[in-house]
Amino acid sequence: MLIERGYRKVRPLAGGLDAWIDAGYDVEVFEKAS
Amino acid sequence: MSKLVAYVAQYGILLVFANVLVEQIGIPIPALPTLIVAGALARDGKLSMSALILAAAVASLAADGLWYALGRRFGNRVLKTLCRVSLSPDSCVRQTESIFERWGMASLVASKFITGFSTVAPPLAGAMGASLPSFLFYDALGTVLWAGGGLLIGFVFHRAIDDVLSFLEGMGTGALYLLGAGLLLFVLYKWWQRRRFYKALRMARITVDELRALFEKGEKPVVVDVRGAGERQRDPRRIPGATTIDVTELDAKLPGIPHEVEIVLYCT
Repeated sequence: MLIERGYRKVRPLAGGLDAWIDAGYDVEVFEKAS
Repeated sequence: MSKLVAYVAQYGILLVFANVLVEQIGIPIPALPTLIVAGALARDGKLSMSALILAAAVASLAADGLWYALGRRFGNRVLKTLCRVSLSPDSCVRQTESIFERWGMASLVASKFITGFSTVAPPLAGAMGASLPSFLFYDALGTVLWAGGGLLIGFVFHRAIDDVLSFLEGMGTGALYLLGAGLLLFVLYKWWQRRRFYKALRMARITVDELRALFEKGEKPVVVDVRGAGERQRDPRRIPGATTIDVTELDAKLPGIPHEVEIVLYCT
């Protein structure tokens, strides 16, 4: 859908949030309202 | 009465039960053709319509009840496993969650008519904490509409179905090979779709180390958390600076993002 709207540099993150956390990188926490 | 019709008439209730159970468990053997044939035989008085609906409902509730219980017990892990083995990877956790969040428990009714979603919806209902009475009500309603619809098609078009059955009967064992080949082609096609989807994904995706390197180089890709609101509530962690864009608010949020910027999407 993003590409249809003209965005060319769109990439999914391999492994998603789990892979980011497993790699030991920092995370933030969403506020409850979000 | 032809042998084939006699066979289906004799084991029709059991066939419907087994086929619906197998499909709802997640094995891609569509039950709709069986329901349509059974509906035609019911019109001809060879099977009981109420018994067929009951068989489909019991089979569906048994399989869905199992998935619901697993969803309640193991939460999103069940969904992730299902999506991993699904022949329709496009119906991923985020998409199903998005449907569920928009329609609530009523999506259980619609799920019966959407390939892929019908197996994912019950564990999703469990993972999202839906009550058992509510789950049973909507799941049973969806099953009756879906199975009843299939049976009704066969009931209305029974003459055409009878012609097809006679044709298959005339083919002898060749009919079994034809049906088997059709099923095999269907599964192969879904498998090929899945392979193509993952190949495209592998070519396009960015690894966590590459994303980290972008941050360290001072580049500022737009990182978008595309999980559903329910998933974000269950696990509120996010990649630093990540924003959220729901499919429904794409047009509202996109104008703030330049076209030349790199966008990285992630879910769980």
